[in-house]
Order: sequence, then structure tokens, then C-alpha cells
Amino acid sequence: MGATIARLAQRPNLWPWLLLAPLALYLAIFFLVPLADVAIMSVTEPKLSLANYERVLTGTLYQRVFFNTFLTAGLVTLACLLVGYPLAYLMNHSSQRTAMLILLLVTMSFWTSFLVRTYAWMVLLGNNGPVIGLLRAVGFETTPQLLFTRFSSTLAMVHILAPYMIMNIYSVMRKIDPVLIRSAESLGARGFSLFRHIYLPLTAPGIANGCVLVFVICLGFYVTPVLLGSPREQMIAGLIGTQIEEFLAFGMGSAMAMILLAVTLAILAIYHRRFGLDKLWG
Amino acid sequence: MTSYLQIDGVTKKFGDFTALEKVDLSVRKGEFVTFLGPSGSGKTTTLMIIAGFEKATHGDVLIEGRSISRLAPHERNIGIVFQNYALFPHKTAAENVYFPLQMRSIARSAGLRKAQEMLSLVGLEGMGGRYPKELSGGQQQRVALARALVFEPSLLLLDEPLGALDKNLREQMQIEIKRIQRTLGVTTIFVTHDQSEAMSMSDRIVVFEKGRIEQAATPLDIYHRPATRFVAGFVGESNLVPAEIKDAGGVAESAALGACDFEPAEPVSPGDNVTLLIRPEHIRLSRKPIEGRKNVSMHVDTIVNYGDNSLVIGRVGDLQMRVRVLGADVVIIKEGEDCCVSWLPESVYAIPAA
Amino acid sequence: MRMLGVVVVIFIAAPLLIVVPMSFSSARSLQFPPPGYWLGYYQAYFTDLTWLRPTWNSIVIATATMVLTMVLVVPATFALVRHRFAGKSIADLMMLMPLAVPHIVMAVGYYSFLGEYRLVHTHIGVVLAHTCLSVPIAFLVLSANLKGFDRTLERAAQSLGASPIKTFIHVTLPILRPGLVISALFAFVQSFDETVVAIFISGRNAETLPRKMFDSIRQEADPVIAVISTLLFAAVLLALLAPAGWKGIRSRLRARTPPTAITTGR
Repeated sequence: MGATIARLAQRPNLWPWLLLAPLALYLAIFFLVPLADVAIMSVTEPKLSLANYERVLTGTLYQRVFFNTFLTAGLVTLACLLVGYPLAYLMNHSSQRTAMLILLLVTMSFWTSFLVRTYAWMVLLGNNGPVIGLLRAVGFETTPQLLFTRFSSTLAMVHILAPYMIMNIYSVMRKIDPVLIRSAESLGARGFSLFRHIYLPLTAPGIANGCVLVFVICLGFYVTPVLLGSPREQMIAGLIGTQIEEFLAFGMGSAMAMILLAVTLAILAIYHRRFGLDKLWG
Repeated sequence: MTSYLQIDGVTKKFGDFTALEKVDLSVRKGEFVTFLGPSGSGKTTTLMIIAGFEKATHGDVLIEGRSISRLAPHERNIGIVFQNYALFPHKTAAENVYFPLQMRSIARSAGLRKAQEMLSLVGLEGMGGRYPKELSGGQQQRVALARALVFEPSLLLLDEPLGALDKNLREQMQIEIKRIQRTLGVTTIFVTHDQSEAMSMSDRIVVFEKGRIEQAATPLDIYHRPATRFVAGFVGESNLVPAEIKDAGGVAESAALGACDFEPAEPVSPGDNVTLLIRPEHIRLSRKPIEGRKNVSMHVDTIVNYGDNSLVIGRVGDLQMRVRVLGADVVIIKEGEDCCVSWLPESVYAIPAA
Repeated sequence: MRMLGVVVVIFIAAPLLIVVPMSFSSARSLQFPPPGYWLGYYQAYFTDLTWLRPTWNSIVIATATMVLTMVLVVPATFALVRHRFAGKSIADLMMLMPLAVPHIVMAVGYYSFLGEYRLVHTHIGVVLAHTCLSVPIAFLVLSANLKGFDRTLERAAQSLGASPIKTFIHVTLPILRPGLVISALFAFVQSFDETVVAIFISGRNAETLPRKMFDSIRQEADPVIAVISTLLFAAVLLALLAPAGWKGIRSRLRARTPPTAITTGR
């Protein structure tokens, strides 16, 4: 009798596999196969060779686009950090009511379609918009072209991605025990040293999270750079789009997509080994 | 003794680790039995095996002679009150209590009426409409109790249900649980690591240690006649003195105390190794030896004052002794002084060596 | 620090707020402040089929995506959160992968993959693609909820006589409901807002609202976009404030009803 029970308990449990099977099958067909398609096209279109990669990696046009993409992603990440950290700090140090209002605003921004936010920046920075209007009112004779420049697309991307940074930093900052800060102060930490020795190390995971997230999203950003950026300073995603849509150059587009994917996954893999990928979006 | 619940050689292994080793126990109908032991001693595992949430590696559990080992938890008809009460947050108190009746296909109106009656029995009249989060800890506890009893279970299991309550509420609930249990006459197993709780509530206490039952006996026997050193040390405060039997009629000798009279409860023979148990509250403290008692001289190291009583910790030779004295008695002595401690032969119990 | 914070708040708020007056503007192209106010572009949006059809397409596609996502994700999440088995960590990672791949890469893949099966420019094609992208988000939300679920509640239900199935229906599901709703909502929004894949595969037939907006912004900056932006913005605000409002209403209702009336009345 006891032996039967023991044997039943040892039987491998099929339940998890049954529950997981539909989704696993679905992702295999509708996620992995399309991804494999991209990989295959990159070496078979128009004929079986590595020529596409060679052109992408050696052509000056492509090199410039890649460089531009990394530069923009780096700039956006840095700007998001400079914008996000003070705001998270402010939220953590203001009344609950103020913090709630700011959180509501950030959440609103996060949830508002980025097409809407991109459009808003077109209005703000347009030739008949309030920023140019303000510059004219102050007395500028000739106003600079703001729209369709690296400046406008970078600014809009900072605005669109800042909520990721803010929420990540705020969530770790909120968990810092105020007693810790008070005890650090009682031990003589003030101003910058308090920030350097207490805040910075304790919020580092949030900063890392926010930066990786913003950088990775920015690398593959399509919509905003295409709509707001300068056509002469394309980013990689935009160039892939052009290759596919305008030139029907599937091989070139796929090769670039694979390189973008490889870079993205490499960054995420490093993050995964350090912190675990599930933390990134959690 | 006719047994109602029978635990038969139950062993539980988690991989290489043996959580329970051949546990045997029988419980009478209507009995209130407490499983007492430190955490990890196997008391909760035994409870979970009775409830059906863990499967025994070997052995069997029977109720009224029928094995329940093959029944799923929901087929066992056993009421359980969990540590954190496990009230359904999306149901009102009354709906929580109605739930087991609902599962037994009892009509809603009749079931809710019965639930309200049960809530009245546990002292929650008119609270049926509240949600768990609108109730205090003690009230949640009562709802959980009502819910576990409303379907007239064959057995009631209580898994450290009072752990989350503060001291006053806890004592109040101890009395309350006992009252309800007597009213309904339900056979009850209560798990706790709190020995005073076990003492005050139980018909019988089962002491667990390292996956085995050390002793199963009435609270008074557990306290005054512990079967093992572990039981003596775990239940109440104790002075435990290794000694050797000199005379089967009741004389033992230890290095620190010399020859010491005791009243043997079980037959002993000279040369046996025993542990003498002397409860601190059975020891008297005086300036001079007292006639008719065993007297030894003690050097007082520390006096801890508890208000109504004090704990005096001192040394008799190499042996550390603890003495409980009422407030008035301790005035005569100060830390660092020597004094006389004494006890009666009937206050000494000899625990046989394992 | 405080000054800097105020500047950042303005930086975040300004673009969100500017679309509202723009939607009432009478200007034919981008101009701020607006020369005059009218409701003409609202009328234009609600009567113009070239805008209404993509809106409807988006609603249909997002709803279908939400349903399909939940059907796949709910059982899988139970398996991954509640069971230990060989290959679990790989499965965990696999669930998140669609979130790690840039949408432009997926867009290229779907363009070719769906083309082979004549699913480009169809609603089904977009739903199949969007479901992949919604899976990780729905999974993250639901698994966080499921991890926080106190399993003694299920044990309690079983000890009270509920079979595993009844336990699931009467205890697990109701307690998990908020998590399920939010998870489904995330799946819906992910599909409703998804732009890049839709640009490449939705075509004229299954054109989604984001695709239409993208084309429109790129070509002419139709002022109707401000109307849609305002409506979407209002929807988000409503969704964010609704739970708090609903709670307030419920507690007020319940305060007026004597507690005993509830237990016997329902």
C-alpha cells in the first residue's frame, strides 16, 4: 500500500507540459519561424552568400547609420537619466499628494500612444508652434529649423522613454529605508557624500534597469526617428524599413535586422547574467 | 480505550531527509490533543498528512477504523484552521462559513442561516456581512473556526492558529476555543510550539522532536513525569542533574548534590544512569537549612526580577541551578552571597536515560 | 533640485496637454496657439470612413489578440509559476523573448512569413503577430499576481470539501480576477498601440489606427490626428482613474446598506 503511494508520487508530472504546450507551439510557429525567416533571407536574398553582411559592415553609409544609432541611443539614455533621476528624487521627497500627482502624470505619459506623443512634439516644435513663437517673441529674427532634425527626434525619444527610467529609479528609491538616510546623516554624510555613498549605490539597480531598457528600445526605435528625424541622419530601424518598403531589398534589410537583433540580444544577455531578464520588465 | 483517529507507523521522507519516523498515535473521540514541539519537529507534517495535503511515505491514517490515506483532501471531511486563517478575501464572513455547505450542495438560504448560527456560536452575531479585511485578527480567527466547524467535520485540526494574536487576545481565544470544542464535542488536534498554550488547553499533549513522538500524555504527566530529558527541558523551566541510582528505594547520587532522595515512579535498579528533574518553583531559598528537606548551599550569581516573582540563578559546585521565588522571599538574599536551597524528595523526578 | 523637478514635470506634461487645444483648433495645419476653436475635426473624425475603419479594425484586432493571448498565457503561467520541471528556466526566458526582439526585426520576419501563407494584409495575420508581442506582457502581469497568491486559500477550500475544479472556480479564479483583467488589458493595449509591425503587414485591408495615424502624420499632418490623440488620451485618463472612482462608489454604496442585508440579499 505504502509502496503504491510512493510510486504514484514519483511518476513524472505531465500537467505543466500540457498547460505549456499550446503556448510553446504557438511561439515556435509564429515567433521563432518568422525570426528564422529573417536569418535565412539575410544569407539567401538575392543569392546564397554572406554578401549582404559584407556590404552592411563595410559600406560607409551603413557604418554611419550604425554609428548614428548608437550615438542617439547613448544620448537619449543619458538624457533620460538626467531627467529621470531628479524627478524620482523629487517624488520620493515630496508630500504623498504631490508624489501621487507626478506618478499619475508619468503613468499617463507612459500609457499614451507614442504616436500621439510624437505628434505632440511636431506641434510643439513646428514652424508655427509655440517654441518658435516664443523665440520670435523674444526677438530672434531668424529662427532655427527644429523639426526634422536630430534635435527633434532625440528630444521626442527622451520624452517617450523617460517614464521607463523614472519608474525604474523611483521604484527602488521608494524602497530605501528613511532610517538608513537618517543614520547616514547622523554619521556625518551630507549633500554630495550622502548621494555618492548612500543614494547612488542603493538606486544603482534601478539605474541599470532603466538605462538598459531605454538604450535597447532606442536602438530599435522606428516610428519617432522616421517621423521627426532628419532623413539624412537615419537610424538603423528606419533604414531597414526603407530597404524593405522602398527598395524591396529583403536581403539587405534582413542582414541589418540580424545585426540589430544580435546587438540587442548581446546587451540583454549581459544584463541577464547579472540580474536576470525577468527583473528588467518586472 | 477505543481509538477514533489512528496514526499507524507513519513515515515521511523528503528526498534523503526523514521528516517523520514511524509515528504511532491513537486519539479518542472528543479528545483535545495538542501536538507540541519546536519548529521542524514534525508536528505540522503529521497534521498535513492527516489533512491529506502531504502523502505519507509509509504507514496509514485511520478514522473509526477506516483508512483515509487514499482520500483526497476534499473527501476527508476534516475541518482545518490555518495559521493565517486563510479566509477567502472575496467572500463575506457569512459566505466564508457557508462555503463548505455550498460545496455539500446545501441551498443558499438554509446554508446562510446555518452559517449565521455558527457565527453566533463563536460570538460574531451580526458580523456576517463583513469582509475578512474589515475584521480584527481575533474576529478573523473566529470566522475561520466557525467555517471549519459548520459542516460537522469528523476531525478539527488547528495549525498554530493563535500565533498571530497578541498576548491578551490569545488567552481569551484559548478559553473560547476550548469552550466551543466542549460544546460541540468535536475531536480536535491542535498544533503549537507554545508550551503554556498546550498546558492550558489539552486533554493530552504529544511532544514531537526530530520526527518522533517523545511522549504522549496528560499535561500534568508531561510536566511532572517527563519521559525524556528533551520533554523536561522543553516543557517548563527545569534543573536537570545527571545522577546514578544508589538505592532502588529512591536514592540517587550526583557529583554536585551528593546523595539525593526521590520517590521512584517507575522501578529502578542501582547503577542506572538517570537525570534528576527539579522544577525551579519547587525549590525554596533560605538563610539556614530547613528540617525535613534536602538542603544544599548555593552561591547566588544573578537575580532577575519579574515583579510578582524572581528568578535566582546560582551555582552549587559546578552545577548551575535556577530557583523561582515569590517576590517576598527574594528580599533576604543579594547577588554574590551564599544561601541555602532546599526541596522535598517528592519534588525530584528521575528520568531514565534513553 | 526642486526647480529642476518642476522643469522636468513641464517637459513631460506639455506634449500631453498640447494635443487637447489642438483638437479644437480651426487651423488647417499645425499651428499653435490655434487661431480659433471649433468642433469641426471631431465631426470629421466621426464621419470619415478612412478614419473610422482603421479604428474599428484596431478594436477588432486588439480584442481578438487579447482573447488569444489570454487563452494561451493563462495555462502556461500556471505551469511556470506553480510547477518545477526540467527546462523551466528556458521556458521562462522564451516567454520574455518577444519583448527582447526589436519590433522592426519582427516586422521584417512577419512580412515574409505571413506573405508565404497569404496572411499579409489580413486581420488574422495581424492578430497572429500581435499575440506574440502581447504574450510576454500578459505573462509578466499574471505571473506577478499568481506568485503573490496565497495557496493556503486553496488548501482551505479543499479541506472544506471543494474538489480541485471547484476550488479553481470558487476560490482561485475570483481572487485572481483583478490580475487577469489587468493582464488582458495590457494585451489589448499592446495590440491597440502597436505600430511598427502593423505598418508592414496590415495593408489597406486590415489597416490599424496607429498605421493610419503614422501615414497621416508622415504625409499631411491631418488635424484629425489631434482629435484621435485627445480621445486616446482621455481613454487612458479614464482607465487610470476608473478603479479609484469605482472603489469610492462601491464603498459609499456599501456604507449605506446594513451589513446583514447583504448576506441574505445576494
